Amino acid sequence: MLLKTAWRSARPKGRVQDLQSQALREKLTILGVSILIPLAILVAWELTTRLGWVDPLFLPSLSEIVAEFWAMVTKGYAGTSLLSHIFISLQRVYIAFFVGTVIGLLLGLLMGYYKYIRAAFYLVTEVLRPIPPLAFITLFILWFGIGEVSKVMIILYAGALIVMLNTMAGVQACPKEKILAAYTLGANDLAVFLYVILPAALPSIFTGMRVALSVDFGILVAAELLAGDQGLGYLIHDASTFFNVEALFVGIFLIGFFGLLSDVVLRVLSNRVVHWQGH
Amino acid sequence: MKNPPLQQSIDQQSSQAVVLDDPNLSEVVVTLDNVSFGYSYKKLILKDLNLTIRQGEILTLLGPSGCGKSTLLNLIAGFYKPLSGLITHGDEVIKAPANKRGVVFQGNALFDWMTVEQNIGFGFRFQKLPKTESRFRVRQIIDLVGLAGSEKKYPYQLSGGMRQRVAVARSMVVHPEVLLMDEPFAAVDVQTREGLQEELLKLHDQVSGAILFVTHSIEEAVFLSDRIIVLDRDCRGIFEEIKVHLPSPRWSAMNRISEEFNQYRTQLYLKLKELG
Ligand SMILES: Nc1ncnc2c1ncn2[C@@H]1O[C@H](COP(=O)(O)OP(=O)(O)O)[C@@H](O)[C@H]1O
Ligand SMILES: [Mg+2]
Repeated sequence: MLLKTAWRSARPKGRVQDLQSQALREKLTILGVSILIPLAILVAWELTTRLGWVDPLFLPSLSEIVAEFWAMVTKGYAGTSLLSHIFISLQRVYIAFFVGTVIGLLLGLLMGYYKYIRAAFYLVTEVLRPIPPLAFITLFILWFGIGEVSKVMIILYAGALIVMLNTMAGVQACPKEKILAAYTLGANDLAVFLYVILPAALPSIFTGMRVALSVDFGILVAAELLAGDQGLGYLIHDASTFFNVEALFVGIFLIGFFGLLSDVVLRVLSNRVVHWQGH
Repeated sequence: MKNPPLQQSIDQQSSQAVVLDDPNLSEVVVTLDNVSFGYSYKKLILKDLNLTIRQGEILTLLGPSGCGKSTLLNLIAGFYKPLSGLITHGDEVIKAPANKRGVVFQGNALFDWMTVEQNIGFGFRFQKLPKTESRFRVRQIIDLVGLAGSEKKYPYQLSGGMRQRVAVARSMVVHPEVLLMDEPFAAVDVQTREGLQEELLKLHDQVSGAILFVTHSIEEAVFLSDRIIVLDRDCRGIFEEIKVHLPSPRWSAMNRISEEFNQYRTQLYLKLKELG
């Protein structure tokens, strides 16, 4: 696909306008398919379910899901307003993500910069890394109680580990020439760290943050599935127990929506901060 | 790192013992006195090497790949310490990088998050120089190397040749007493490289520090240098030293096609052939 585009644009063209209009056409086509295909899926979904080709118990029609969503907006779910379910979930995930990012960032910078600290924590992180964070959930509930703290802590842990590993990798990947060049221009250790190593690690740090945020959403839902009486994960869990498939889909869509929204915000922020890489 | 016993031979007296081998030549800036170095104790890269860099000269190191040219340059920069022997700059033993010894690498050394202007001005952040003065010098060198109009660009927006111009300007602008350049133009195309060489000679004329230049191109060595040192393999030290006299201005393109240039080139070619 990429190759073909490169080959096509490498072909001699008649006029500059041709090239420009071709670029525009390509952009429009990409925009078109990126909207049309999801739309087509939704239409197919609505049609197949309306025509009774699929058992509504397995896959309710879109309109029924929208109706259920509207009912939730007006009447709430399980004695709590939908907004509260959303709010509590986002609160958990954002607090955990924020604190986790700060901790992961600090640890990652230290581990990336000081080889002794890296050595000290090497085994610990290598052992922890492959363990799914959810394996710790009962342990966390045991330690921090069934309430908010254990949920926030498990999300925080998962995100912090990812941010830490990415930050460490970013610090270590800083090209030696840049560091040495800074020293030969008169920078001291602190200046080299602030002006060279930290900015060089930023792309990797932001990548870590984005991965962490999406993982955090996953852990959130799982943590809420297991315990609690509020939040989008709880909503999904509750709807499943009562075979309320429409409500289940509302929960799923809401998580997808807020996960996507958060990622878009983070991506925009990342592109703003790490603006020096081009495209 | 544990200091090897040989390190103990380093003391103040020997740093005083700077001997000029030719009284007509200008003052020595950097002296290597019986320097040995290896990345491990098992295998030496440089052994008992003696070398001087004199004020304002352009000295080029030539030699087969892997003979230790970069290592030597890194030692002088202060990135490594010799296992034995002494490297002095002025009357000071070199122990760490300092801004009186600039370094230009082959590439990859620009700060991608800074504009051309910020990159070039970076060294002034660590000097107590009036803002107006540092700004003026940045401005001046940007014009000199033909980067005018690109001040606000970031490295990713520049061609390879432009990036090396920024790297050279960034090191030159703080007026180092010695500029160490490790194959700085090896990664750009031939036309660009010739332009860069000419600009380097013009800059050198203005800034007047010494330059230690590492290259594997004979033509580049002859065009740029006042003196060329050919390093031997397997830490056998200096194989040949040649002084280059070409008419001024040195940056004249005529120098590339002159008979003298060709003679130097042939001479060096045969010397390097001997090394195999
Ligand atoms: N950081 C290093 N660690 C260990 N060995 C090295 C390192 N850098 C270079 N060497 C070795 O030292 C020798 C000289 O390398 P170098 O100074 O880079 O040669 P040149 O620049 O002349 O090509 C080579 O054999 C190389 O493999
Ligand atoms: Mg080299």
